Order: sequence, then C-alpha cells, then structure tokens
Amino acid sequence: MLGYYLHLALRTLRRNVILTSLIIAAVGVGIGAYMTILTVLIAMSGDPIPDRSDTLFVPQIDVWGPNTRPKGGTGEIRLPPQFTYRDVTAFMQAHSAPHQAAMYPVALDVTPPKGIAFSQVGRATHRDFFSMFEVPFAAGAAWSVQDETDRADVVVLGKTLAGKLFPNSSAVGQTVSLGGRLYRITGVLEAWSPTPRFYDVVNGNAFSEVEDFFIPFTTAIGHQMQTNGNYNCAVLPSSGWAGRLSSECIWFGFWAELPNATAVRNYRQYLLNYSAEQRRLGRFHWPPLVQLSNVHQWLSLMHVIPDEVRVNSLLAFGFLTVCLVNAVGLMLARFSARASEFGVRRALGATRTDIFLQCLTETAVVGVLGGMLGLALTALGLAANRASLGYLAQYVGGLMRLDPAVMALTVALAVGATLCSGLYPTWRATRVQPALQLKAQ
Amino acid sequence: MLKMTHLSKVYRTEVVETYALRDFSIHVKEGEFVAVTGPSGSGKTTFLTIAGLLEEFTGGQYQLDGADVHGLNDNQRSRLRNQKIGFIFQSFNLIPDLNVFDNVDVPLRYRRLPGAERRKRINEALERVGLLARSKHYPAELSGGQQQRVAIARALAGGPRLLLADEPTGNLDTQMARGVMQLLEELHRDGATIVMVTHDPELAARAQREVRIVDGQVIDLAAPTHLVENPATRPAV
Amino acid sequence: MEIVPILSALKRNKVGAILVTLQIALTLAVIANGMSIIQGHLAAMGRPSGIDEANIFTLQNHWVGEPENLRASIEEDLAALRGMPGVVDAEATNSYPLRGGGWGWGIRLKPDSSNGGAAGTTLYFNDAHGLDAMGLKLVAGRWFSSSEIEEMRIDDEKGVPSAVLTSALAKKLFPKSAALGQVIYMITDQPVHVIGVVDRAQTPWPAQGFGDEGAEYSTFLPLQFVANQMNYLVRTRPGQLAAVMRAVPDRLYAVTRQRVIDQLMPFSETRTRAYQIQKSESWLLGTVCGLLLAITGLGTVGLTMYWVAQRRRQIGMRRALGARRVDILRYFHTENLLIAGSGALLGVAGGLGANLWMATHMGTARMSWVYIGIGALIVLVLCQLAVLWPAYRAACVPPSLATRGL
Repeated sequence: MLGYYLHLALRTLRRNVILTSLIIAAVGVGIGAYMTILTVLIAMSGDPIPDRSDTLFVPQIDVWGPNTRPKGGTGEIRLPPQFTYRDVTAFMQAHSAPHQAAMYPVALDVTPPKGIAFSQVGRATHRDFFSMFEVPFAAGAAWSVQDETDRADVVVLGKTLAGKLFPNSSAVGQTVSLGGRLYRITGVLEAWSPTPRFYDVVNGNAFSEVEDFFIPFTTAIGHQMQTNGNYNCAVLPSSGWAGRLSSECIWFGFWAELPNATAVRNYRQYLLNYSAEQRRLGRFHWPPLVQLSNVHQWLSLMHVIPDEVRVNSLLAFGFLTVCLVNAVGLMLARFSARASEFGVRRALGATRTDIFLQCLTETAVVGVLGGMLGLALTALGLAANRASLGYLAQYVGGLMRLDPAVMALTVALAVGATLCSGLYPTWRATRVQPALQLKAQ
Repeated sequence: MLKMTHLSKVYRTEVVETYALRDFSIHVKEGEFVAVTGPSGSGKTTFLTIAGLLEEFTGGQYQLDGADVHGLNDNQRSRLRNQKIGFIFQSFNLIPDLNVFDNVDVPLRYRRLPGAERRKRINEALERVGLLARSKHYPAELSGGQQQRVAIARALAGGPRLLLADEPTGNLDTQMARGVMQLLEELHRDGATIVMVTHDPELAARAQREVRIVDGQVIDLAAPTHLVENPATRPAV
Repeated sequence: MEIVPILSALKRNKVGAILVTLQIALTLAVIANGMSIIQGHLAAMGRPSGIDEANIFTLQNHWVGEPENLRASIEEDLAALRGMPGVVDAEATNSYPLRGGGWGWGIRLKPDSSNGGAAGTTLYFNDAHGLDAMGLKLVAGRWFSSSEIEEMRIDDEKGVPSAVLTSALAKKLFPKSAALGQVIYMITDQPVHVIGVVDRAQTPWPAQGFGDEGAEYSTFLPLQFVANQMNYLVRTRPGQLAAVMRAVPDRLYAVTRQRVIDQLMPFSETRTRAYQIQKSESWLLGTVCGLLLAITGLGTVGLTMYWVAQRRRQIGMRRALGARRVDILRYFHTENLLIAGSGALLGVAGGLGANLWMATHMGTARMSWVYIGIGALIVLVLCQLAVLWPAYRAACVPPSLATRGL
C-alpha cells in the first residue's frame, strides 16, 4: 500500500503545483533559516573532550572579596575567572589533585633561520597539560619534570609552526629562537583543534585555534614574560615584575584532574581550607567561598556561547514556527479541497486508517521535498553568514559547515516538522463523512 | 440480497426530531433490478446511503447478502462495502487528479489485490463499458456519459454482489442517458443485482420492479394492499 | 459594511482564520523587535569616534629582543614617522578608539577609595602630540605641553597632576558645573586636575547600542607609555593615507630591522572590525524579517484563494441578489482587515512581551512605540496587498453561478 500512497502523492502534487510549492517553500525556508543558526549552535555546544569532560575541573576562589562584586543583580555570584601567581604556585605545590596545570598565554617573536621575525602566540604551562587534555603528539614528547625544575629553555611546537620552520626535517631535538633566546624542541604536536578551545575561554576568542608553541610555566616566569591575555587587578600592584608576582592581580588559568566524586569532594575541601588559611594570615577579610566546575559547567559559566547566538536561535525558532503555521493552513486548504475525493474513497471501501496513511504519505513527501529545499537554503545561509562575518570568519568559519550528520538532521527535521504540521489537517481529512460528501450535490 | 426490516433513521437536533426513514422494509432478491422512486425529501437518498453502509441506522434490521450488519464498526463496514457493493453516483464522483485506469483501480487497491489481478480486472471492466481505449485519459477530458461509464466500470471491477445507483443519468443529456441505461440493463441481464434510486418515472419503468418511498415509508406499487393499511398516505391518483 | 455576517462566515472556517491571525501576530512581534534591534545597531555604528578617521592608520610594533633604551627607541621611531612626507603627526600609545582592547579604570570624586567610583573610564596615555595625532577637538581648556609628559612603564603606579576628559565624561562627573579646573581621583590618592575637555572620543570598546552612555567615557593622561609592544597612530594629510601606509614599513625597518610590524591598517578597517558582529547581526535579522513578510504574504494569498474557491456559489448568489463587483471586493478586504487587525492586536501584545523578556534576560534595549506602530502598519498593508488578487478573482465570479449549481 505504501507504494500506492507514494504513487498517489506524486500524482496529486504534480497536479496542484502552486499550492504544493507554497507549502514546500514555507517548510524549506523555515528549515533553512533554522538550520543555518542551529548548525552554529550545535558546533559551539559540542563536547570538546568527551572522554574527560567530567574529570577536568576549574577551581575558583574569592580572591578579591564580596566588595568588588556589583551589588544587586540576579543574585548569581561571579568569582574571578583567573588566579594570582601566589595562588597557582600554592596549588601546584600542594598536589591536591593527581594531575594539574597552571597556564597563561604568551606572545614571542620567532626568528627563523632565514627571513624576518614574526610574532606567535603560545602558552606557558605545566607538563601535565598534555596528558590531562589528551594532546596528540606527532613526534617527541612533552618536556621532563627536570626541565620544569631547571626552568629549561625547551618548547613543544604546534604542527603548523614546526612545518614552517623545519619543512624537510624532524623538528625534535633542534632549536628555535623565541623572543631572542634559543629553545630546544622536545616535541611536535599533531593537528589539534578542540571546539571550543575550552582550556582557555577567558583570554581571546573561545573558538580560535590552539597556540603555536608551549613552554614550561617556570621558564616563562623565570624570563619575566608578561601575559598576552587579560590582566585584572582590584588593587594596584607594586611596581616591577616582583610587584606583579606578589600582587592580587589575576592572570593565570588553572586546571585539575579529579577522577572521581571523592577526589572532587577532597579538592573542594582543600580550596576551602586554603581560603580559610589566607583569611587567618590576614590576606582575605571575608568568609571562604569557592567554586569547582567541570568542563561543561565552566563553558556554561563563562557564557562561551555568545548571547547573540542564543537570541538568534530563538529568532530562528520563531521564524520556523511561523513557517509551519503557514504550512498547516495551506495543508488544511489542500485537504479540504479534496474532501469529496476522500468521501468517494471511503465509499469505495477505504477505512479511516487508509485515508490517514494516504494523507500522511503525501505530507511526508512534501516534507522530504521541503527538506531538500531547506538543505540548499542552509548551505546558502551558512555561506552568507560566513561572508557577513568578515574577519571573524577565520575563527568561527569552521563551525559553519554542513557535515553529513547535520544534513541528515536537516532532512529529518523537515520531515518531522511537516508531519507534525500535517497531523491536524490529516485528522480532519479522515473525519470526512462519505454520506455527507456524496449527498451534497 | 438486500433485506431491510422495520428500519428507521432519526436525525436529532436540540429542538426537533426528524424521521428520514420510518418503519421502512424492503427485500431485494439476487438478480433483481429494483427502482426506488419518490418525491424530493422522501428519504430515498437516505435509504441508499444506509443500504450502502455509508450511514448507521437508528432502529430495525438490515441484512446484506445474508449477513446482519448491525453492530459492525467503521472498519468492518468499509471492508464489507468494498467487497459487496458497487456505487454509481449522479455526479460520477471520479477523482479528477487520477486518470481513467487509476480511477477504476481505487476500490481494488483497498481490497489489497496483487498487481496482475488488478490490471486484469480493470481492463475487463473498461472493456465491458467500452472505454478501454481511454485508459490514460483524465476525467476532465471525457464527456458526461463517458465519465459515468468509467464510474460503472469502477463499480464493476470489484465483482460486487450489489450495484447501488443514485440518479445515474441525472447529469446526462438524453442520448448519453439512453446509453447508460442500456448498459445497466445489459448488466442486469448478465445476472447483476441493481438497486437504482431515481425520480424519473420513465427510468423507473425500465427496471423490473418499482418501490415508492413517501415520507420515509415504503409504498410498494406492486402490492396495492399496503395502500389500504396506511390510509394517511393515500396517493392522489 | 456588515461585520456580523463576515464574522459568522469566519467562524465556520475557525481553524484557518486562527492560523492566519497567529501568523500575522508572530510576524508583527518579530519585525517590530527586529527593527528596534537593527536601529540600535545602526545607531551604535553611526556614532563618530571623535578622531580624524579618514586620515588615520595604526600599527602594532614590537622589537625582537628588548632594546637597551626602550624610550629612546620609541622616540626614534616617532621622529622617523613625524618626518615622513604627508604625515601631520604621530604618537605611540597604549590604545585608541574602537581598537577592541585597552585600559579601564574607575574615577572617584573623593580621595578615599572606600566609596565606589563615580564613573568608569578608559585611559589613553598621550604625549603633547596626541591632540593633533588623533585630530581631536578641544572645547575647553588646553592639551598637555611637552614638559608635562612623564614616562609610564607597564607596572608603574603613576600619579598624574592633570588629565583631559571627553565632554560626555565631564557631564557625567560634573553635571551642574564646568569640569574645567575640577579635581578627580584615580589610581592613587593624588588629586588630578582637569585641564581640558575634548568634544568626543570613543573608548576602545565599540558602542553597545543607541543609549550606550559609557561609549565616550575617555580620559587622556600626560604619560608616554613605554613598553615593548606599542601601538603607533599616524595621521596623514587628506589623500595621502594609502601612500604613507605603503611607505611606513620600509621607513621603520630603516631605523632597525629587529622588529615585528603587525596589524597595519587604516582606521576604516578598525571601524569595520569593531562593529563586525553588529553588522552581521543586522543582516541576519533583516533577512529573517524580509523572509517572514514574504512567507506570511504568500500564505495569506494561498489561503484566501482557497476560501474564495470554497465560496464560489455563495458569491455567485450574492451577485445574483444584487451585489456589485465592488461590494464583493469590499467584503473580502473587510474580512481580511478583521483578521489582520486581530492579528495585529495580538502581535502588539506579543511583541511588547517578547521585548520585555529580552530586556530582562538578555540586556536588549527596550523598544519604542514607533516600531510597533510601523510594524503594525507594514503588516496590515501587506495583508491588504496579499488579498488583492484573490478578491479580484472573487469579484469576477459570475452571478449565473447561483443558478448553475455546479
């Protein structure tokens, strides 16, 4: 019977082109607009590190106290998103988590053997960074514990930079001039692009690329490298590098790996104890307040998905609703016009279910056609969106792609939405009373 | 074949009760060609829709081909309709989006017959009404008489036990009407049971027997005694 | 025109009428809010930055390996830039309007820091050339003189004796009196005298909307910023921008090659990047509103055509009973007006409600009545246009249809 219904559907659609086209257009345009926005939202909402997203945590302590927070508001307490030097070194030394890493972004000039120097953005961090975040190595490995203790001039290069500097040879073991000093290369990474770049969403764009080089935290501090990211102070620091390090200015990120609930509990307790001790020492003058967020919580807390995208999603959904309401009205019109046909079919022996399935099949065919139109329009919409973003496209352009999963979703959504819209008109069609239809001559 | 005993059909609204059929009895035997006549509003169309299992009745009994149809649900009635009854309507009621072949195909599809069987039956039915050459045409391309003949082919294709016709020539000119009536008579001669509703006495005369309905009740002209039993319905003869 | 029969006829087509009403309501809610948001973006993007945009370009400079005398290197670069043909003036600074990143601080009106600040501002560190380099307009007092300029390194805790404010900031801090000569406090407890007021200068952060007050809260301090990473801002004579920009890298490399020059761009590019997101948003919103109107319009056409087809006999009957063509036209237009009118009323409520929700939860600006009004007008006109063709077809139904029956 399905074959029959398809045969009927195609016949009917072909002979009522205008009305059918209007319905297909309504569905297609609505789906196209919605999927254009949804694609970006889906890409932005993805889990960047599925294996470990619930064992990696960002702690926060109340470094500046309640007086620095805005009064009133929504009651949501927002603790500072980064740490002072004092606090991260204390955390690292306490070893309260099996793996942990402090970090901050640095910018150094790369002086290649030939050609002029160019600036690159890198990250100063601890070696646990690579194991915690499952960073893939193409060659070599991270620097050793000894390197960290010695504040050695060692570096791990990203794939692109290594390829640029050493196109024909292995970079591992060679040296590169960074910021006027020679660093020994201990490892080269594979292409790695977590989306978002979750380990640092405070400095710069959360969806930008991974840094081009990594150096030990201790080395960067030893060479007095300033941060290439945000540097916020509640109280003015004393002058000089020593002043920076001893200040209450926050410019470091920190991640800890806590494998189970017990570890999480213990770590939270450690943070509270630490805050209480700082209060005892006269540094904090307020009760301890700490927060511990895993990857998802952190991304949500930091509003990684910009409000604009959320507003757009609402808007696109509203638009889709209007299009579907439109489709319902048009489908009602279509089926009502064929009330006598349904009456005849019932008279000739069709059950209500037969009529229902016939109309449903028609609706599904319209849905598939609408989905294909929606797919084409989504591709168009994404291209237009990318174009309108100008220079920002380099950051989020990768998010605006139609991969097979998204394409399947588009068509499925179109069919689903059309079927839902068609439910009422189809139900109405089955309620046609054959006697009334045939009597009304 | 078709046996109704003391059938009644009541339409109830908030304020008024209307009897479309009242104490209505009719017995059509297999192979008969019966014409059902009466003035407008007499209930002949209601009789037809009930006979065709398109509507439920309020009281009485109805046996179709020996089986009591009381208590059948909607699906069962559809099935029965599909198997036993062939309809012929005044305004043909062909589906405009489908061609002749597909129109005749409709009842066979609901019978879930295999493709080869359907094609055979359709071709045979179209041959019988003389329209095999027009299989691919659409109803809009045919004359009134041709459309009605397609409708008859559709009614025949399923091999029904009973043909119900509602003013089959009502929308046709004299010449086409004659052609259609000839076809019906041929079918009757070949053994079909036909019940035809009409208000045209000439047409009614071509049937075997005439049953007259007035105000929802039967006046069987073949049995004048009924007249006496119901003096209120004495016709103005 | 008889409203009652129209209403009762609509009641028989309840679902279809309700659907069209809902559509119109939703469309109105969306386009009213959309227009309001787009207008906010356009207003923000149209705000003048206060500097001589057409003739200014900027670049980022840093030396490879920190030079021995950073200050001298900066002065050498500035001398080279200022000496170039076609250049009006140049400065080396920490930031400038619409740059995207900069320094923020709080201004206090009293020395002690326990009470909150009176306003938040951005800090621009400039030398005596700053006024001419940026092309700012003084409206009161004076700019800094060379003797007043001190050095500012990145970790310094510098108190300054004087500052120049923008007029927007001056009005915020001193609403009732002139700012000139007043005293403010920032960074330290040392009093800072306001010695000048400039007409306008935007902060490095792009304006957030039409009413964004803080967009022009800028403070200029007589400090030469000294760091390895510097922003150079160069102002050229009219028409010379492209030529000077082309020549600058070579001129600076001639001083020393041990440097990296980044982000050399005219101010027009800075402005484009600053408002990229708002521009993209406006396009998106505009497209959606346009599509929405198209869909609603087409849907109305389709549905009304169907209603006309359904009521052909009725129309024929009316004509047979004496209605003229124009009466039929008026009937359908009135019917459409009733539906569109109810949809518009719903849409006004819906649009205002949505706007309120967005203002509370997403910080969107409140919508003025003008947009609702314009939106309602657009929607009503669109519906009337949509019904023109179907109504005309209805009016063409011949009166003979009443008798013909089929």
